Amino acid sequence: MRKIVLALVLTGLSLASCPVFANDVVKVASAQKGFWDTTILLYGERAGLFKAQGLDLEITWTNGGAETEQAVISGSVDIAAANGILGAIAAHAKGAPVRIIAAESTGVTDLFWYARGDSGLKSFGDLDGKTVGFSSPGSSSNMVALALIAQAHVSAKPVATGGAPGTLTQVMSGQIDVGWAVPPLHFDLIDQGKIRIIGRGSDIAEMRDQTVRVFETNTTTLAAHRDILIRFFRAYQKTLDWAYREPEALVQFAADNKVSLEQAHRARDEFYPQSALALAPISNLDLTVKQAIELKRLSAPLTAEQVRELIDIVYDPRTDK
Amino acid sequence: MRVSTILGLATVAAAAALLELLVASGVLPAYIFVRPSAMLFSIVGLFREEALLERLLVTLGATLLSAAMAVVSGVSLGWALYRCRLLDEVFGTWIAALAAAPLILLYPLFLVVFGRGEPTIIAMAYVASLVAMTLKTRDGLAGVRSVLRAVGASFRVTPAQLFWRIELPAAAPAIFTGIRLALIFALINVIGIEFMINDGGIGGLIADLADRYEVPSMYAAILFVVLASVAFFWATERAERWFNPA
Amino acid sequence: MVQPRIGSRLRSRARRQWIAAAAFVGYWVLWELIARAGIFYEGVIPSSIAILRALYEIAFDRALYLNTAVTAFEVAVAILIGCGCGLAFGLLGGAVRTIGAAYEPYVHYLAPTPKIVFLPVLLLCFGVGFGTKIALGALSAFFPMAIATLAGVRGVDPVLLRVGQSFNLSRLQLAVKIYLPALRAPVLTGLKLGFGFALIGVLLAEIKLSNAGLGFMAIQYYNHFEMAELYALMMIIFLLAGGVNALVDRLTPRRWGR
Repeated sequence: MRKIVLALVLTGLSLASCPVFANDVVKVASAQKGFWDTTILLYGERAGLFKAQGLDLEITWTNGGAETEQAVISGSVDIAAANGILGAIAAHAKGAPVRIIAAESTGVTDLFWYARGDSGLKSFGDLDGKTVGFSSPGSSSNMVALALIAQAHVSAKPVATGGAPGTLTQVMSGQIDVGWAVPPLHFDLIDQGKIRIIGRGSDIAEMRDQTVRVFETNTTTLAAHRDILIRFFRAYQKTLDWAYREPEALVQFAADNKVSLEQAHRARDEFYPQSALALAPISNLDLTVKQAIELKRLSAPLTAEQVRELIDIVYDPRTDK
Repeated sequence: MRVSTILGLATVAAAAALLELLVASGVLPAYIFVRPSAMLFSIVGLFREEALLERLLVTLGATLLSAAMAVVSGVSLGWALYRCRLLDEVFGTWIAALAAAPLILLYPLFLVVFGRGEPTIIAMAYVASLVAMTLKTRDGLAGVRSVLRAVGASFRVTPAQLFWRIELPAAAPAIFTGIRLALIFALINVIGIEFMINDGGIGGLIADLADRYEVPSMYAAILFVVLASVAFFWATERAERWFNPA
Repeated sequence: MVQPRIGSRLRSRARRQWIAAAAFVGYWVLWELIARAGIFYEGVIPSSIAILRALYEIAFDRALYLNTAVTAFEVAVAILIGCGCGLAFGLLGGAVRTIGAAYEPYVHYLAPTPKIVFLPVLLLCFGVGFGTKIALGALSAFFPMAIATLAGVRGVDPVLLRVGQSFNLSRLQLAVKIYLPALRAPVLTGLKLGFGFALIGVLLAEIKLSNAGLGFMAIQYYNHFEMAELYALMMIIFLLAGGVNALVDRLTPRRWGR
C-alpha cells in the first residue's frame, strides 16, 4: 500500500515538474470592436486559426487613437491592431519604442459620407456652404473629409462630430448636413431611403493606395518574440483567406452587428475588398508624412534612417511559402 | 512659517526632485514619465502653441454658464420644494437619489441628443450642478429657525416680505454653499466631459495631446488642470467665506 | 398673517404612497410623450416598451453578469486600495497633528480635481489590464475617505477621551473602545462617497478602453446605436449604485450625514 502511495506521489511530482505545452499568449489591443477589419482577428481566433499556430489571443478593445498607442508603448499589449498610421509615426518620432510591423488597411474603402434622403444632396459637388462631419481632429475620417471637399472644389465646412451614432442623430436632426459612417452601420436606413451615400473614401484617387491603418509592436516584443509575431501574422493571413472564402466569419459579423446576412455581404464585398487588408507593403508613406506635417503630428519629413527604423515588416505573405 | 507648512512644501519638493532624478538618470523610462522641470517648461509652450489661455476661457465659460443656469433654476426649484410639501414628496426623493447617482455616465446619451460639442458639455454640467443647488436651497429654507418666522408673524409681514427679509437671508449660508458646490461640480463635469469626448477647453487639450503622443505637453496640461482646479476651488471657498463670515 | 404651507394636510403614509405612484405614472407619461412626439430623431429617446424589452433581454444575457462581476471586482479592489490608504492617512493625520496640518491642505484642494484627466498617465504606467481601471478608481476613492476619517478623528468628543483617560485605558483600549466606535459613522460616510467616486472612475476607464465590464458594455451599445439597450443598462447601473448606497446608509448611524 505504501509503495502504491509513494508511486502516485512521485508520478504527481514529476508531472508537475514537466513543462506544460501551453500556447503562447499574444496580447492585442484593437480599436472599435464590431467593424469588419478590426474584428476579423476575433473571428479567426474563434475558428481556431490562431491556435493552429500555437497562439492564444487576448484582445482588448479601445476607442482608438491614443489608447491603442499607449497600450503598446507601455508594453501591456504585444500588438496594436488597426491603429492610425499618423499616430504611429508621431509616437515614433517622439522617441516612443514602437515599430510598424504590418499594414492593416490600405486605401480608405470603408469610410462613407451620407445625407438625409430628402435633403436633395447627391454628391460632394452639391455641398457649397454645407457642413460635413468627421470623427475627431487628426483621424482618417478628418483627412478624407478634407480631401473630398477639396476634390469637389466646394466651400463646405468640416465639423468634428464624434462617433457614428452621434453623427447620425446630428444629420437627421439637421444640425449638420453630411455625416460619416463605416459599414454596416445605417444600411437599413440606406435601404429605406432615409439616407443616401454621397461620397466614399475610395473616391479620393491619391489615397487609394495609401496605407492608413497599421499593426504596431514595441521594441521589446519585437526583439524577444519575433517568431511569435511571424506566427501571429501567418495565422492572420489564413484568417483573411478563410473569412473571404467561407461564410462563417460573415455570419458572426452579421450577428454581432444585428444586420442581415445580405447586408453583411454588401458591407464586406463593397467596402472591404481583401486587397485593402493586405499585410504588406506600407504604401504611399510620402503622402502620409505630408498629412502628418499638415496636422502637426510631425515637425519635419522623416529621414531615410527614420523610415528604416520605423517600419519592420515581420511577415510578407507575398514571399512566404 | 509653521512647521507643518514647511513639512508639506518640503515633501512636494522632495517628491519632485526624486522624480526629476529618476527620469534624468533613466531609471524611469522617459517615454512614459516626464521630468517636473520639463513639465513646467512645457506649460509655457502650451500658452504659445496650444492656445491654452483660449482653452481655459472656453472651460471657464462653460463652467460659469452651466453653474449660473443651475443656480437660477436650482434656487427656484429648491424654493418650490420648500413651499409645497406635495412637490417635495413627488420630486424630493428623486432629486436626492440623483445626488448619489453617477450622472457623468449618461454622457453617451447626451452626445446622441445634443451632439458632440459645447451643448453636451454644458447640459451635463448643468444637470450635475442643479441637484446640489436645489437640495441646499431647500434644506437652507427648511432650516430657518421658527423663532425668526414667529418674529415676522408678530410684525404681520406679508408672505413676500417674510421670504425676502427673513427666510432668504437666514438661508443665505446654505444657498452660498450650494452656489459653491454648483461651481465645483460644474467645473469637474466640464473638464471631465471635455476629456471624454476630446473636445473643447483644457480637458479636450489633454485628450488631444495624448492622441498626438506629446507626452511632456500632456503632463504639463494635466498639471495645469490640477492647478486651475485648485485655484478655482480656493477662490470659491474664499468667496463663500466673504459672503458668509459665520 | 403667515400662510400655512400648501398641502400640509397630506401627511399620511398611504397618501404619500399614492403620490409617489402618481408621480411615477406622470414621469412615464411624460417620457412616452417625448419619445413619440418626434422632437428627437427616432431611437434617441426610445419608448418605455422598447427599454423594458431591452431590460428583459439584457437580464437574461450572461454577458451582463460577467461584465458586472468584472466591474465589481475592479471597484472592490479600488476601494480596498483607495479607501484603505485614505483611512490610513486620516488616522495618521488625526493622531499626529503636525502631519495632519502639513498634508491636509493638499488633500482638501486636490479632492475636487477631476481625476479622469490622469487616465493617459495611468494607462502608460499600468497598461490595458485591470491596473489602469483599478488605479483610477483607487485615486478617486482616496480623497473622500481621507477627508472623512481625518474629520472623524478630530471630531471625537474630548469628553469621551477624558473619560477613557480617567479609567487609565491603554492606547490600544482607547483605540478600540473609544476611537473605533466614534469613527464608525465618518468611515462609513467616506466609504459611501469613495464607492461612488470609485465606480465613476472605473466605469469611465472601461468606456475608454476595455474588453469587459459594464462601461465597455455601455460603449458597445452606443457604438452600435442600440439606444434602448443603453438606457436599460444605465438603469441597471444606477439601481446597483443606489442599492449599495442604501446598504451603506443602513449601517451608518443616524447622526452623521443623513
